[in-house]
Amino acid sequence: MLVAHRSPPLDFTWLYQEQDPRLYRDVINVSEVPGTQDAEPGARWSASAAAFVAWRDGDQAALEELVRLLSPTLWQVARAAGLDRSHAEDVVQTTWLALMDHADSIAHPMAVAGWLCTSARRESWRVSKRVRRERPTDDDVLHPTLPTAEGPETEVVLADDHLRLRLCLDRLTERCQTLLRMLAAGPRPEYAEVSAALGMAVGSIGPTRARCLDKLRRELISEGSL
Amino acid sequence: MADPLDPISDDQILDAVAGLWEALDPPPDDLAEGVLARLDANDLDAELLTLVEFDKELAGVRSTTMLRAPNEIGTWSLEYLGPGFRVQVRISRSQREARLDGWVVPAQPMTVYLTSMGSKDSTTETQVGDSGRFEFPVTPTGACRLTFVSDPTSTRPLVTPPFWI
Repeated sequence: MLVAHRSPPLDFTWLYQEQDPRLYRDVINVSEVPGTQDAEPGARWSASAAAFVAWRDGDQAALEELVRLLSPTLWQVARAAGLDRSHAEDVVQTTWLALMDHADSIAHPMAVAGWLCTSARRESWRVSKRVRRERPTDDDVLHPTLPTAEGPETEVVLADDHLRLRLCLDRLTERCQTLLRMLAAGPRPEYAEVSAALGMAVGSIGPTRARCLDKLRRELISEGSL
Repeated sequence: MADPLDPISDDQILDAVAGLWEALDPPPDDLAEGVLARLDANDLDAELLTLVEFDKELAGVRSTTMLRAPNEIGTWSLEYLGPGFRVQVRISRSQREARLDGWVVPAQPMTVYLTSMGSKDSTTETQVGDSGRFEFPVTPTGACRLTFVSDPTSTRPLVTPPFWI
């Protein structure tokens, strides 16, 4: 079956090293309220805002709609943090439970997707640390970068543009791949959240992001994708 | 952020990366069902047990809360962790019927309820024996959950997330 992607165990500890909390203090607020997305993700955030408002106004069916809309995004957030499938699923569920308790604290409905992704990101980081502690040699924690060995992902038939993008991503460093996957999942996260998960100083996220994106853009151009 | 001369903006690239990962690493088909079931269970006045172990080969495209597709045949096991005890559950499903065997470790007097969450809501009960063992020789099929109540009742009931029989 499809879970165990048995590539050789990779050293992933750098992802979970704790950073000096002083490094987080200059939080750069990128966007909790998404505004610069393409039509497709943008439409998802708007629909989720509408469902969130309806649910808070007492429409129970709207909660189901909200869960169906955003759970796949939360899954990507958890997987981008390096969690295996069962832990990722647990994080998605825990995140929704947290929303039940904190829905009142979300001032702007458009922020609901950002709020959920932020919670999922923090919970994923917490779970990753716990998993690492409990099973320090566990190779079950999947690699959030592109698989090089035969795995479930290789069975997915990719569209041409996805294939080319994958090829180009594969030429980036592991760190770049991880960072870009994290930044891409859900509404653009605050650098401080990513900083904690990656063990990178907040101040270096921006420049690293720019470098990784430039490299990817050059690869895409040389591949004729742009 | 994007240079107007750039052929494609940073955000467009990141959206493309997100799209690629959605294709490469899709969630289980019933991810949302698992969430909704968990939210339902949370509404009960009960504490939720945590699934700690399951047959690894069961996981995959199906979620861990709904490990088996309806009507699958075979034997599989689950293990839950509660405050101060563990519960191991073995489910055996044949063509026509299913049974559930469980062990509470350490053994303690409890009443166990097996509730079917399907269209025919039903609950059967049994007692945990001195050895910690309990059994439901004939079980409903479909989505079910177990509830544990300590004898004498002292704490909140403890309930498993829904699982398939």
